[in-house]
Amino acid sequence: MPEYERETIEKLIDGKLSWPEVKGIMSAYKDPDRFDKYIAILQDRVPWEDRILLPLGLHLYIVEKEDGERVVRCDCGHEFGDYRENWKLEALIYVRDTEEKLQEVYPPLMHSDPEWIVLREYYCPGCRTQLEVEALPPGYPVVFDFQPDLETFYREWLGREI
Amino acid sequence: MSSTREPRILAIDAGGTMTDTFIIDQDGGFVVGKAQTTPDDESQGFLRSSEDALSYWGMSVEDAFSSLATGIYSGTAMINRILERKGRKVGVIVSLGMEDYFRLERGVQSYLGYSYSDRLHVCTHQHRPPLVPRHLVRGVSERIDVFGDAAIPIDEDGARRAVNTLLDEGVEAICVNFMFSYRNPAHELQMKEIAEDAVRERGVDVPVTIASDHYSIRGDFPRLNTLVADAIAAEPSRRHLRSIDERAKDHGAEFDLRIMASHGGTISIESRELARTLVSGPIGGVIGAKWLADRIGVENVFCTDIGGTSFDLAIITGGEYDVKPYPDMAGMLLAIPMVELDSVGEGTGSFVRVNPTSGRIEIGPDSAGYRIGTSWPEGGIDIPTINDCDLVLGLLNPDYFLGGDITLDKDRAIAAIEEQVAAPLGIDVYRAAAGVVELFEEGLKNNVLSRIMGKGYVPLNYTLLSYGGGGPLHVGGISKGMGFESVLVPAWAAGFSAFGCSCSEFEYRFDASLDMPILPDITTDEKEGVTEMIDGQCAFLREKVIEEFARSGFCEDEIRFRIFLRMQYMGQLRDLEVRTDYEWLESAAALDDVIAGFEELYAKVYALSARSPELGYLITVAVISGTVEVEKPELPTEPLQGTSPPGDAHKGKRDVYWRGEWVEADIWEMEELKAGNRLTGLSIVESPATTLVVPPGASTYLDENRIFHLEPGEEG
Repeated sequence: MPEYERETIEKLIDGKLSWPEVKGIMSAYKDPDRFDKYIAILQDRVPWEDRILLPLGLHLYIVEKEDGERVVRCDCGHEFGDYRENWKLEALIYVRDTEEKLQEVYPPLMHSDPEWIVLREYYCPGCRTQLEVEALPPGYPVVFDFQPDLETFYREWLGREI
Repeated sequence: MSSTREPRILAIDAGGTMTDTFIIDQDGGFVVGKAQTTPDDESQGFLRSSEDALSYWGMSVEDAFSSLATGIYSGTAMINRILERKGRKVGVIVSLGMEDYFRLERGVQSYLGYSYSDRLHVCTHQHRPPLVPRHLVRGVSERIDVFGDAAIPIDEDGARRAVNTLLDEGVEAICVNFMFSYRNPAHELQMKEIAEDAVRERGVDVPVTIASDHYSIRGDFPRLNTLVADAIAAEPSRRHLRSIDERAKDHGAEFDLRIMASHGGTISIESRELARTLVSGPIGGVIGAKWLADRIGVENVFCTDIGGTSFDLAIITGGEYDVKPYPDMAGMLLAIPMVELDSVGEGTGSFVRVNPTSGRIEIGPDSAGYRIGTSWPEGGIDIPTINDCDLVLGLLNPDYFLGGDITLDKDRAIAAIEEQVAAPLGIDVYRAAAGVVELFEEGLKNNVLSRIMGKGYVPLNYTLLSYGGGGPLHVGGISKGMGFESVLVPAWAAGFSAFGCSCSEFEYRFDASLDMPILPDITTDEKEGVTEMIDGQCAFLREKVIEEFARSGFCEDEIRFRIFLRMQYMGQLRDLEVRTDYEWLESAAALDDVIAGFEELYAKVYALSARSPELGYLITVAVISGTVEVEKPELPTEPLQGTSPPGDAHKGKRDVYWRGEWVEADIWEMEELKAGNRLTGLSIVESPATTLVVPPGASTYLDENRIFHLEPGEEG
């Protein structure tokens, strides 16, 4: 069963492994302690002390605060509220819904028709980091990507209580 | 004996793991040498391997090399150069709009050569760095259509601009590949002229090659890959081959080194198209099997080669192997004919693991290769392999691996299997190792069966031929209960691939797409017209054969030409190769012969009742094969002696764990056994390069050609 050095997992997070190394990791069995190593690295990198329960995407985490509340939090420390609510509703939103705005990020003729599909970009109000982008028809409700069942995940996948 | 011995043929197989050398004398006597491959300078491994082989005859390299008439090489040097993208800087010119061949790779190249599980695991698919970077590819406006007509004339100004901008980039070679150029090369020829003019004007030395001149085959992407592979790697590889040739000549050799090509013949290392040798190693065994089948009078042979990293299978039916037109190698589709061969990623060096999710044993697909397994501490391997299991069970002798050159550490293997396999499964280490070997053999057996049954044949009509370093060790387990007509293990199994190369013809083979229809109601006059067209295409290929042989000093009258035609029923998708003895077709009667040959072949490959002459035929590809006489090995023959082996062949006894219990095995020295001897299981026959296991209940008989016949017992 494979086991990787902490340094290897750090490079994996930072995208610094060569393709054959990444392919090797993908094709091998899952290293059983990956989750704990991964979380430990992320925990060391954020400037706050509260415990990370689960990463929720680049820069976002579900964090358990001292008072037991579980919230979505950005790298910078900005909080989006309870993890069972959609954090996007608390984010800054920029919508690219014209040809002009789309052509700031795409070459001409390579982007969507804004009458059919628009890009919605979500930014952290604390540090202005881009957190997520959605491509949706205009007017479509904000998508709630992911609401994990934390207790079950810890109990049945990691074999311990949260 | 040694004073009159005259070594005649040398064959080298530089595999990824070991460099095997096979040397044959004038009577068919032979020795096998092995040395670890030295990838940085293969001529070292070659020389060490030759020294090892000749030491059995008490000869030095100098004594032996001067009498050799033939030297043949097969290896992986060129393919490695392409994998590492090391070679000449090549510029490419294609039809306008098709410039992204190397980035799109027809999709399929992002996972060629992957294991089945990774093929399904889409996030592992990855485009490799393109063979030629996009900024060195130019499109030129032109179009030949599928009928060979010029639909858009070539844009001459654009063509000149393309060449000049490539020369500005400092390319060292230019390859041209236009769509449908195999139908009509006019635009490629025009492009070549324009390019050569531009090159001349600048006074630089940049060769220009066009696809229709080298690989006139349908399939523009495989054709382009092959053309570019030649341009990138042929010259550096030629230098490397010349260094081996020179190393041999320094030691007194007078032969010119030839190299195994994928179509099953050998070609000169000075050949124009070295890409034809990209795939060569594993097919040597198939050529050897065909040679052996001819000599001992069997028509149908199933070839199995168990090496350190893979299990290779091939079928010879009616004395002929199949050829596939578009093989892939190193993640590249190629347009060169290759002996049909299936390779499974399981060999004796394959890693053994317990899947933590399913709790099942899994073997391969990766392997320790030349590093054997955990039992060879110097190899730095921590995961147990099939070799380790064989050692733990007592099948392998730790002090006689490679004739004792390498000592294996059995305790280390036991510890690794205990920790990584036996403990997770909750069984003892010997049961675990035996289970792994049984699973390994079952897996190979299923592969053999699916290949034979999948083609509608039955094992009863086939002779199983087992070779490769690991073949004799596992052939008993693999063949058990399969009901093959017979099971043969040549005493020189370990060097069989190298030996096979020495059996091959000196042969150039060129293919060209033709797409010539033969309608069901064709008249005799029309048939004559068809043969004229075929002969015309063949005349073009024939010139290439003559040109290639001229490099080795052979003239036209010394060459034996044969026409092969690939054909199919009109509207069907798979073509078959009909091999004729015709040098030219010339008459309607010859075409009738070809058609009859196709009907017969089709009935063999598919079914008699599936023949459909009412559809008419399509001749897809015309092939010219040109051969010249070269020395080939004799089959060794020894006088038959009694059935009981000589006393000094018996090396002692050893405990072997066999299917759940400890059994005392007789150990024999292979070299000491005499023709006619018979052994019963459980016997283990050891030689420096391989180990033959005769299972309990089975027996084996060594015939006058030094081939072991393995006969299953009652239960088998």
